[in-house]
Amino acid sequence: MRDFRYARASSVAGAIVAKRDGVKFVAGGTNLVDLIKYGAEQPDELIDITHLPLKEIEEMSNGGLRVGTLVPNSDLAAHPIVASRYPVLRQALLSGASPQLRNMATTGGNLLQRTRCYYFMDPAFPCNKRNPGSGCPAIQGQNRIHAILGTSDSCIATHPSDMAVALAALEAIIHVQGAEGERSIPISDFHRLPGDTPQLDTTLRSDELITWIEIPSLPDGTRSHYLKVRDRAEYQFALVSAAVVLRKDGGTIESARIALGGVAHKPWRATDVEEALMGQPSSLETYRNATSMSLKQAKGYGQNDFKIELAKRAMVRALVESEDHQA
Amino acid sequence: MSVIDDVSKTLKVGDPAPMVLFEADEEHPLLADFQGQTIVLVFHSGDWDPGRHHQVELLNQVLSSLSHPVQALSIAQSGFWCNLDLGESGHLGFPLLHESKYGELSNLFGVEGREAIYVLDPGGIVQWAHVGPIGAQSTLDDLVESFTTPVRRKGDLSRRDFLVTAVAASFAMSFLSGIAEAVAPRPTTSSHIEKLASDTVRLDVNGKVHEVPVRPNVTLLDALRERIGLTGTKKGCDHGQCGACTVHVDGRRVNSCLLLAVMQEGKKITTIEGLSSGTRLHPVQEAFIKHDGFQCGYCTPGQIMSAVACIQEGHAKSTEDIQAWMSGNICRCGATIGIREAILAVAGSQG
Repeated sequence: MRDFRYARASSVAGAIVAKRDGVKFVAGGTNLVDLIKYGAEQPDELIDITHLPLKEIEEMSNGGLRVGTLVPNSDLAAHPIVASRYPVLRQALLSGASPQLRNMATTGGNLLQRTRCYYFMDPAFPCNKRNPGSGCPAIQGQNRIHAILGTSDSCIATHPSDMAVALAALEAIIHVQGAEGERSIPISDFHRLPGDTPQLDTTLRSDELITWIEIPSLPDGTRSHYLKVRDRAEYQFALVSAAVVLRKDGGTIESARIALGGVAHKPWRATDVEEALMGQPSSLETYRNATSMSLKQAKGYGQNDFKIELAKRAMVRALVESEDHQA
Repeated sequence: MSVIDDVSKTLKVGDPAPMVLFEADEEHPLLADFQGQTIVLVFHSGDWDPGRHHQVELLNQVLSSLSHPVQALSIAQSGFWCNLDLGESGHLGFPLLHESKYGELSNLFGVEGREAIYVLDPGGIVQWAHVGPIGAQSTLDDLVESFTTPVRRKGDLSRRDFLVTAVAASFAMSFLSGIAEAVAPRPTTSSHIEKLASDTVRLDVNGKVHEVPVRPNVTLLDALRERIGLTGTKKGCDHGQCGACTVHVDGRRVNSCLLLAVMQEGKKITTIEGLSSGTRLHPVQEAFIKHDGFQCGYCTPGQIMSAVACIQEGHAKSTEDIQAWMSGNICRCGATIGIREAILAVAGSQG
């Protein structure tokens, strides 16, 4: 592994002050250390943030949940409030990675993990995300795992997180701190589409640190569910996933929030389906009708054409299965 | 350790190398014996080091950029490092200047405890030098140039002297944390950032504290295996995908191949070696034997460490449970069924 300097931060302010070009924060390290081994990340210095007091999960006075950026994925999944009120988040977390990696990986780090595009991870290949302007071999190459929505001529990578897809459907808020102070970013604005700057995964500024994530409360009776479709039953990234948060009044859908994973550079809110479901009776027919006309802007690149139909069917199944997961 | 002194002491281009001050025994030649030839002198840690293959790469480049015959010498600061495979140019037996008894030569060159490659001209003058970790890219243009341009003696500072000195200083900076502030003050540096004063980490492994010399880029897995000598933990994929490297840190199962050793200070690490009580095996170890939970055995330490945690977590209540919660450990011999039975048996017996 490439050599780098190492420093420990004992305060958030200290960590932010020390952050500059070539410096990366490290916590769980599950993705960053791996990418340094591959040579896809080449930091000069790592700042260890694991000693910062950002490890708590607390219930907020507004009924939401405050999750410190350093909370391990396994602890978040196991938290009683997450298990009872946010099944979609628990399911998403437990469908990701392996038990060992979930013990290491943190909440903030999960949001900031990088794509698993083969070309991005292998420095022998050009990649606009790793080396801007060098090209994208995936567009004409091996692209079975790549995006079908929100792509650009520069990049068709997907965001690999399951947790972020659930948080998108839960409309989580990412709280960050930087040299200019604190700000909060709705998760829909946190990850970005590649455009012609695919090297930027998020809207986080280079001096900013995620400090905590806010998960808003859900009205009683809200159902939520995460469905992950993948090549093997465990320990595999999603080909397509769907997170559903559904509120009904009797047999009528009051509101639906649906986010898709494995299809775009960010968790993809299927707003067209959400709108089509509103006020409709909750039934398989409704779900099929609402999804069949959806994702009109989706575009396949050859090997990943199947994802367009798969995404629609995943939404139907997630909606059906959400009936069993009332919070 | 005064880092500034180390840098100013480091031998630079144009300095005369200390040829005669080094004594040798029968097995190890005197550096002075090779005077009159171009000498490539490699200082390295005798132990395993993640930077070594970079150093070998650089050494190969140095040797291939020198058109005339050279003598390559190896200075192991501890242990041994000779008989190097040089790829196309074949196999090279390094005459070894072993100085563990003296520790003197690297001291005289001002590179004690560091990696360095020196090219000495036949007159014993430093022609080219690369000091510090080899991870950063370096150019050999100045080496080639140095054989066509006369090197100026010490006291007559050329631009190239300055460059090499600056390069040496910058490598030292990247290697020795803390020096950055001393050499190039950064007004933004805050007291809330603790730079490590040394490259030693204290690791509490199986109840025993080890002081381990590591760089920041050494993983816990490599520190356990190559520094502490606990080779029970295995390196499979080295990318967190196979689980062979599973250990417990503060009671949780983790992939030691993706953990940096420097980040594990103050934590309690348990490896497969720490599982048994003397000769009495852990119940999971016994169950793996009884239920034929392995064939080649390579994944077994990781499987067992993961299984112990899986049972403690309460995730071993059913076959389906175990399939999901043992998915981070892959056995390619196909002993999976025996492993599952072993875990079920222990979990069942513990109610």
